[in-house]
Amino acid sequence: MYEVFDHTADLGLRIRADTLDELFAEAARALFSVIVANLDEVRSVEEISIEIEGDVHDEMLRDWLAELLYVFHTKHLIFSRFEADVGDTKLTATARGEPIDPARHEIDSEIKAITYHGLNVAHGDDGWSAEVIVDV
Amino acid sequence: MAKQGYTGPLEQIDECCWRIPKDYKIGMQVDGQIFADERLMDHIRADQAPEQVANVAMLPGIQTASLAMPDIHWGYGFCIGGVCATDPDEGGVVSPGGVGYDINCGVRLVHTNLSLEDVQGKIESLTDRLFRKIPAGVGKSGPYRFEGEELKRILRRGVRFLEKKGLATATDLEHTEAGGCLAGAEPDSISDRAMARGVDQCGTLGAGNHFLEVQVVDEVFDKNAAQTMGLEKDLLCVMIHSGSRGLGYQVCDDSLKKFRNVPAKYGIELPDRQLACAPVHSNEGQEYLQAMRCAANYAWANRQLLMWQARQVFAEFFGRSWESLQMNLVYDVAHNIAKLEEHVVQRRRKTLCVHRKGATRAFPADHAEVPQRYRTIGQPVIIPGDMGTASWVLVGRPGSMDRAFGSTCHGAGRLMSRKAAIRHAQGRRIDRELAEQGVVVRCRNWKGLAEEQPAAYKDVNVVVDVVDRAGLAKEVVRLRPVGVVKG
Repeated sequence: MYEVFDHTADLGLRIRADTLDELFAEAARALFSVIVANLDEVRSVEEISIEIEGDVHDEMLRDWLAELLYVFHTKHLIFSRFEADVGDTKLTATARGEPIDPARHEIDSEIKAITYHGLNVAHGDDGWSAEVIVDV
Repeated sequence: MAKQGYTGPLEQIDECCWRIPKDYKIGMQVDGQIFADERLMDHIRADQAPEQVANVAMLPGIQTASLAMPDIHWGYGFCIGGVCATDPDEGGVVSPGGVGYDINCGVRLVHTNLSLEDVQGKIESLTDRLFRKIPAGVGKSGPYRFEGEELKRILRRGVRFLEKKGLATATDLEHTEAGGCLAGAEPDSISDRAMARGVDQCGTLGAGNHFLEVQVVDEVFDKNAAQTMGLEKDLLCVMIHSGSRGLGYQVCDDSLKKFRNVPAKYGIELPDRQLACAPVHSNEGQEYLQAMRCAANYAWANRQLLMWQARQVFAEFFGRSWESLQMNLVYDVAHNIAKLEEHVVQRRRKTLCVHRKGATRAFPADHAEVPQRYRTIGQPVIIPGDMGTASWVLVGRPGSMDRAFGSTCHGAGRLMSRKAAIRHAQGRRIDRELAEQGVVVRCRNWKGLAEEQPAAYKDVNVVVDVVDRAGLAKEVVRLRPVGVVKG
């Protein structure tokens, strides 16, 4: 579950999930929901694998989203399905999507970067939650 | 991180300046100072931007005060509209967050010799032509490609490299801040990823708040200065707002990653990770500055190539060369940058690392870095407003040196968040509303347009009025948009 919240010139992503793996997958969906208006129209044609090294959850989450953003910007691929396996020192993940097709995909925002401002991953009684602010 | 108002102290010093005293928070080295007047204070108190001004006051080596301009708004780490000068010889730091992701985002203004009358009935087709020819939008590539050594030359030499290629004139260089090239740019300091993102984006507008606008001079406030710049009432101009594109974002992102453990290494405690910094006199600090200068030079080359394409479109459209249309560059300013500059602090001349994040350099008359042509009037300052109201040309005044490390505001400043702007639009066609006001808008993304609607911004006229009354810069001309091209 995710929601997008206001941050004046920028946007925030607030994510909740039962497990850490789901939290990472859901955060990626939240990111692409801001980039493309009709995320559900994105087909799973291509799959890429991503590995992120690290041992701090919030930095790993930021790096994972930053990596997806980099692939979006340089390979012009958009993704809508994600699987993540968060280990102690490494995240192993896959993202499925397809090349941008301006005829079918409504590209909404140019997200410049994933910031560290207010970056937070927490575990509580009702599962995992995270907040990330992106520079638009 | 819900939006909360600022409840800390804000003491009025004079009619245009407010202080956050340094005893507000433990760790503040200096006061915070916000240039604003009563009309802006409710907005300024409405979010955490003043808190961010206080946080920046904690950076090692910061001089005089952590400053903010009247277009201040909530950013991440640093506020937008902030100026922070540090003394490297007193442990002063450089912070990638104090420059931002869009390194050397900036604005340039080009005039023509056409008056509004000359283009009556042609604005729509001219705007259409510009919209078709000027690459804009998310991740859009352009007609220029620079790879390998050629790209490195752009990063080292900025617009100077383009002059060699016949894509810039000597006057273009002279009328660009820093001559369109910061010395000390080292391409080996930037990643392969940043290089890769730079290959096909030089000469592209991007998206978001970036634009190319056809404008007319609406009112002249300083006839002598306007004349010196070649500006007069009803004259047609082109304003370009863009930055260093993906290359710059990547340089900032890479640097922040490298800086993760750097503050701890130097014993620097910070209230926000986005403020990560390193002493200017450290390997990390130097490496960032070398990389940042590459991105800054790339941004100047980007705006130069955008202008070059606009000149070609005008030449084709009017059937005359751009030279005969006198499409000369008035000036180009950076508003996201860190530079080493000389300033006087408590009567001592010092070389400081001046961060301007959403602030514009505004050197006064007689300053050695003001081009010869403008030496008697002061450096031109280009202030883009929102697309329905106005943009401004100012000139720097001595007060900018005395009070703000040679700086002034950079724009209108955001008022509404992006989501609030979309709610405010309620599905209205912003382009049609603007058309009724005589502004032709061409845009690829209607939601983006709603985010950028005039109501989403502070009144640029109020912002400019404050910097004028505070003595930072002087009003020269106000421009109004007639044709808008957005990504």
